Amino acid sequence: MNCVELQQSLAEAEDGSLPEQSRHLRQCPECSALLQDLNFIVAKAGELQGCEEPSPRVWNSIEIALRQEGLIRPQATARPQLGWLAARWGGARWLVPAAALLLIFVGVYERRQWAPVGQEAAVVTPAANYTNSTPGLNSGLNDEDLMQEVADNPPAMRTQYEDNLRRVNESIRDAETAVKEYPNDPEARRALMDAYQQKSMLFEMAMDRPQP
Amino acid sequence: MWSRSAAERAERVVAVAVIVGVMGGAALGQAPAGPSRPEQSRKDFHFAVGPHAGISVTNPYGSISVKPSSSSMVMVNAVLHSDKVEVDNNQSGNRVDIQSHLLAGADQETGQVDYEILVPADASVTLHSSMGSLHAEKLHGDVSLEGAGADVDVRDISDAHVHVKTMNGSVNLDNIKNGHVEVDSLSGAVTLHSVNGALVQVVSTSGRINYVGDFGNSGEYRLTSHSGDIDATIPEWTSADVSARSVRGQVQDDIPLQPKTHTWYSMDMEKGRAFAGTMGRVAMSSTVVLRTFSGKIHLRKRSEKQSQ
Repeated sequence: MNCVELQQSLAEAEDGSLPEQSRHLRQCPECSALLQDLNFIVAKAGELQGCEEPSPRVWNSIEIALRQEGLIRPQATARPQLGWLAARWGGARWLVPAAALLLIFVGVYERRQWAPVGQEAAVVTPAANYTNSTPGLNSGLNDEDLMQEVADNPPAMRTQYEDNLRRVNESIRDAETAVKEYPNDPEARRALMDAYQQKSMLFEMAMDRPQP
Repeated sequence: MWSRSAAERAERVVAVAVIVGVMGGAALGQAPAGPSRPEQSRKDFHFAVGPHAGISVTNPYGSISVKPSSSSMVMVNAVLHSDKVEVDNNQSGNRVDIQSHLLAGADQETGQVDYEILVPADASVTLHSSMGSLHAEKLHGDVSLEGAGADVDVRDISDAHVHVKTMNGSVNLDNIKNGHVEVDSLSGAVTLHSVNGALVQVVSTSGRINYVGDFGNSGEYRLTSHSGDIDATIPEWTSADVSARSVRGQVQDDIPLQPKTHTWYSMDMEKGRAFAGTMGRVAMSSTVVLRTFSGKIHLRKRSEKQSQ
């Protein structure tokens, strides 16, 4: 029995007590952990405390931003839609709202920067604010958290993440400076957007790392 | 001073020590240097699929190579480098998912699986590896490849989307015709050879971008690297509307362009940090945008020797 078969068999015997299930569970820590999680959820579902999850403000912010972007309808709630992500990523679930915030930030930024000429004054103001910020700070991304995520990678790969994080932060800083110097330069704005997208990609890759 | 018997005894001890040493050394030489090397095993999977099937392969450690098959079968050959990794497979309708599953204690070496996969040429393929190489060739379905440290090689693809994401792996695209190509790479070198289509876009943070080709007809080509150099080598007969700009680096143009006089970065042109102009037949020209913040941009003329 492999992992897929085990997960399918849990529909019939959810406690993993079948002999084949037991054999697989003994040698597969991932499935074993999955079963433990399922048992834990069943046992503790009624006792879940809000304080163990990301702050409601995080979910509300995402929901509001998604509504403003027209990506969800007003009556929809963000939390149920995103709940499976929290379960899938377990300890890394903070990355999901963080990455979402980054993408929303980039999207809103792009929309504002490419607004009609009449809205120019409103465009320049937020761009100026970036110059005093740490790269990624506005988006809720934390570099130390990213490095923690890749801490169990092979040393060479960890070094690559560190190196690329440094480079992409430098590129964000350069682009921010360029936007400040030339606020009406579309290339500078595009460079900043590209830099944030590259950082977002780095976070995505950190999330997709191998998990024995 | 030693007596004769003492000297003989000392000689015997030395002789025995030498013999023991030689025998021990020989024995050690034959013994394995460390734990025994895990045995490789091979697994084959076959799936019958219909037209435009979707194939997805996720492999943390190891290579994935995809080539066209002559039938409507997906044939997977996996070489597992130890028993600390297994291959999960699942077919759902016209979609096949293959995944290397690392077991406890698996590392970069023992968790390695190398795949050779044959798919119908019209299949869409998604490959994902953290550290192995990714290769796809002779397909006309969409190809998406992603890997942090994976070297990517894609060739002989036509009429399809080609999307590549890497962190520091190199990217090599060769002979992509009528494609919709998007490459995102943080620091790996990106080489495009004979790549054309409606959209060819490369975004890199610090990787070098090298384009060799003719920029096709009426496509949009946007090559951007924050600090990496950009080299484009094109034949003289290319039809393109080219603009190149390096905010802090230099640009060099070996090809005579019909200059554009009214650009918003005319000052940069005067400082040798930008150029813009057209070449060839305007009606068929592609739009070519080359951008870097601190790298150098060089537009080169392809010699006859390179053309052959």
